[in-house]
Amino acid sequence: MTIERDHHGFDAPAPLGHPGRAGLPDGAPTGPEVGTRLPEFTLPDAHGHAVDFHADRGNAKAVVVFYRSAVW
Amino acid sequence: MLKTFAEKQEIPYPLLSDIDSEVIRQFGILNTGVSRDDAMLYGIPFPGSYVVDESGGVVAKFFHDTYKRRDSPELLIDAALGAVQLSDDAPRETRSDAGIRVTAAIHGGKASIRQGIRRHVVVRFEMDPGLHIYGEPVPEGMIPTTISVSGPPGLIVENPILPPTTPLRLESLGLELPVWSGRVDLQVPFYPNGELASETRPLDADEVTLDVTVRYQACDDEACLLPKTETFSFTVPMDVIDIPSLGMHKGHGQREGKFNATPHMLRLFARKLRQHPMGLPRFVMTNLRLNREAKKRAAAERHPSDR
Repeated sequence: MTIERDHHGFDAPAPLGHPGRAGLPDGAPTGPEVGTRLPEFTLPDAHGHAVDFHADRGNAKAVVVFYRSAVW
Repeated sequence: MLKTFAEKQEIPYPLLSDIDSEVIRQFGILNTGVSRDDAMLYGIPFPGSYVVDESGGVVAKFFHDTYKRRDSPELLIDAALGAVQLSDDAPRETRSDAGIRVTAAIHGGKASIRQGIRRHVVVRFEMDPGLHIYGEPVPEGMIPTTISVSGPPGLIVENPILPPTTPLRLESLGLELPVWSGRVDLQVPFYPNGELASETRPLDADEVTLDVTVRYQACDDEACLLPKTETFSFTVPMDVIDIPSLGMHKGHGQREGKFNATPHMLRLFARKLRQHPMGLPRFVMTNLRLNREAKKRAAAERHPSDR
């Protein structure tokens, strides 16, 4: 495994150009805009129960974090 | 898999599984830098966060041009609540002057730093009624409020995050000046990159020193106090973090954690392989090619004359 530093100054256990190191390109879309309603979605949680985001958060504020993997 | 992960990493909030990246696609944040041919990685999102209010509206979102830079959870909470929620145990120093208190604090995490995660220097001004300080721009000769943060090489300091100023009209001079009054929090985000805290080698130091310089001038409607420069110094510990224990993480500065990801990685590969039988050989070939190219680059750097 070759380690190289990218233009942000970050290292990773994969060479530059590796698809796993692909970042957000200039002007790439970042999903729902501020001021709009977050789309409806339902996904299974760690126990296999379906979570309906808007229904199950009740009237609470919430944060949704997209991350790449829990494995690596 | 998420169940073991959540238990081992002691994650109290729900972890959802976006199998086959349906919601990622619905949101339009599928990582397009990963081609369909890279079947082992295809399907990952551009990582980012959305903060929604009671009615489900997006009030803030945080995306970065590299997946290695992320925001502290505290910043997401601040965005949800609409104000800096400085923890009582955040390291801080306060200087008081006539009618004005200036506090500098380290905000985010346990006030410790780790690669790519943004923490914030918060500079909180608390001014007596009638006093104000200046934002920018102000005419020549007046002192706008400035904060400079410096640390060792590899500590990246970003542009300040400033709340909106209010206009102060000085009829006699025909001027309108941007000011803050009462209590105001100015913030400067910072994070270490690979030069200071790399995931590919042990940490060089347990802590770093962060110097904060604040310059301002407080005035009321009639007169100004002398310009002030306050300096603060913080010793900030570097985090050692648990990462999934996995062959490829050997040599990381971070500590291999309690969570053994190898069986899950194999299952992930097996599932991807069923969907794209040619994916694995392609993945391996791409890796070999990229590693070859990287070695060539490294060799060229060692012997520049051979180029």
